[in-house]
Amino acid sequence: MNQKFDLLSTIEYGGCSSKLPAGLLSEVLKELPVAVDPNLLVDVDTHDDAGVYRINEETALIFTTDFFPPICSDPFEFGEIAAANALSDVYAMGGTPLLALNLMMFSQEKIPMHVFGEILKGGNEKVREASALIVGGHTIDDHPPKYGLAVVGTVHPDKLITNAGARPGDRLILTKSIGTGALVSGQKNGLSKPEHYRMALHQMKRLNLNAAQAAGKFGVKGMTDITGFGLAGHALKMADASQVSFRIHTGQVPLLPGSFDVFEKGSIPGATFRNLEFTGKEVHFTRSVGYNLKMLVHDAQTSGGLLMAVNPDHAEQLVREINQTDPDSGAVIIGEVLPRSPRILYFE
Amino acid sequence: MKIIDTNGFKCPQPLIMLKEGLQEMEQGENVTIYTDNETSLKNLVTYLRDQGVEPEVSSNEKVHAIVTRRPEANLIDTDPAAYCETGIVVNNYVVCIKSELMGEGDPELGKVLMETFMDNLKLQEQLPTHVVLYNSGVKLAMKQSSVCSSLSELEELGTRVMLCGSCIDHYGLQYDIGVGMISDMVVITETMAVAGHVIYP
Repeated sequence: MNQKFDLLSTIEYGGCSSKLPAGLLSEVLKELPVAVDPNLLVDVDTHDDAGVYRINEETALIFTTDFFPPICSDPFEFGEIAAANALSDVYAMGGTPLLALNLMMFSQEKIPMHVFGEILKGGNEKVREASALIVGGHTIDDHPPKYGLAVVGTVHPDKLITNAGARPGDRLILTKSIGTGALVSGQKNGLSKPEHYRMALHQMKRLNLNAAQAAGKFGVKGMTDITGFGLAGHALKMADASQVSFRIHTGQVPLLPGSFDVFEKGSIPGATFRNLEFTGKEVHFTRSVGYNLKMLVHDAQTSGGLLMAVNPDHAEQLVREINQTDPDSGAVIIGEVLPRSPRILYFE
Repeated sequence: MKIIDTNGFKCPQPLIMLKEGLQEMEQGENVTIYTDNETSLKNLVTYLRDQGVEPEVSSNEKVHAIVTRRPEANLIDTDPAAYCETGIVVNNYVVCIKSELMGEGDPELGKVLMETFMDNLKLQEQLPTHVVLYNSGVKLAMKQSSVCSSLSELEELGTRVMLCGSCIDHYGLQYDIGVGMISDMVVITETMAVAGHVIYP
């Protein structure tokens, strides 16, 4: 029997999350030439979740990757979460995952090899659930470990869903609760209740498969998944790409139980502050939104839900469809799309 | 003067320690927080500013000292569940601006009155939750309007400035908006319906 290994022990105590600040990233990317090709349907320009390339009239390829250091103790669960997170970018574009490659950074001198195997098994399990195939991968010696996938998916070019498809009048639906960053930070600092942390893990493992299928069925044109830049950061990118503004009812945004308490105690990850700095003046909060809620909508999410803009006449039906096809789902309407106003996001 | 020493601790521990420390303090009492971590320094200052105090930072080698007073703001945030229970809050009020001029009569006078009203509105101890602008009132939110800066200050203080979208379209002002959230009559009606009271200047 292999000894239990705590993956969180490889991460610096209370360390901040690992994504680069969005503003800094845009600065660097600006310097690089942008690929131009008539078949490139989605490029880095709209800050979308993946690149999309049309290979013929019927099919476009969705190409994406994501990987990160451990966010939980159990290697199998870490593999599941990292894979669900990487696959999510394909769902966010309205596509179906087809092939995946494992990306692993792992030091066999510092961590027992069975942990490596457990991570891959967890990842494999999720890719199987997504009906995609793992066809290889690459490993580099590095510590602390990092794991994720590069994923290729397909979508019919007419069924493509991008950041740029939200229209004034649309309702905004969020399909998972926010607060995973808070509960992971709380776990590292002994402030998350075990049952709340378990709920966060459970949610992070869930694929966005059902929600994305429902979105396609109801003709959703604008969608993104909520990850490292938080609800506010990703909503901002989506509204900006669509040249609209979003109004979000903060009280309607579903929070993972315990996430508010973790922030109230001050266990706010550095990524939250970075995201707040990124959204800056583009976001307006009414006085009634308290400090912790303002920070929670900036909380970096791992394997977060989909944010979709849908015709108001179909919004409630779509919410029902998502929640019926996946009983674990907690999709809700959190706001609406406005014509482009002086600011991009309005929280109230 | 209370001292909170977070040297050697990395984010988010210093913020946890600061929040614990503030709970034990009297209103208006001064506090010095020490940190040797750049990220934590930035985050602590951001937090304190958000609570309405202006912290002073001095740095010596690698250790930073943040001196400030205990924020007067309610340190314990409202529970989100309580926040969800929206309804009519009696002392909340909404200001509705139905014209670019205040009152009927000489337009010159109406313009001056509106400017003076806006200057005074932002100084009120209790600020409106919303300022709703419709019909020719939306012209006040244009970049070149003389009250645009007052409306921006109100927005900065957490008041939601709402503009009637149809009115903006009607006057062809889409490209000149300086402040406010474009709304429709559904949202405007809802806002007025749940307001404690509505002021028409």
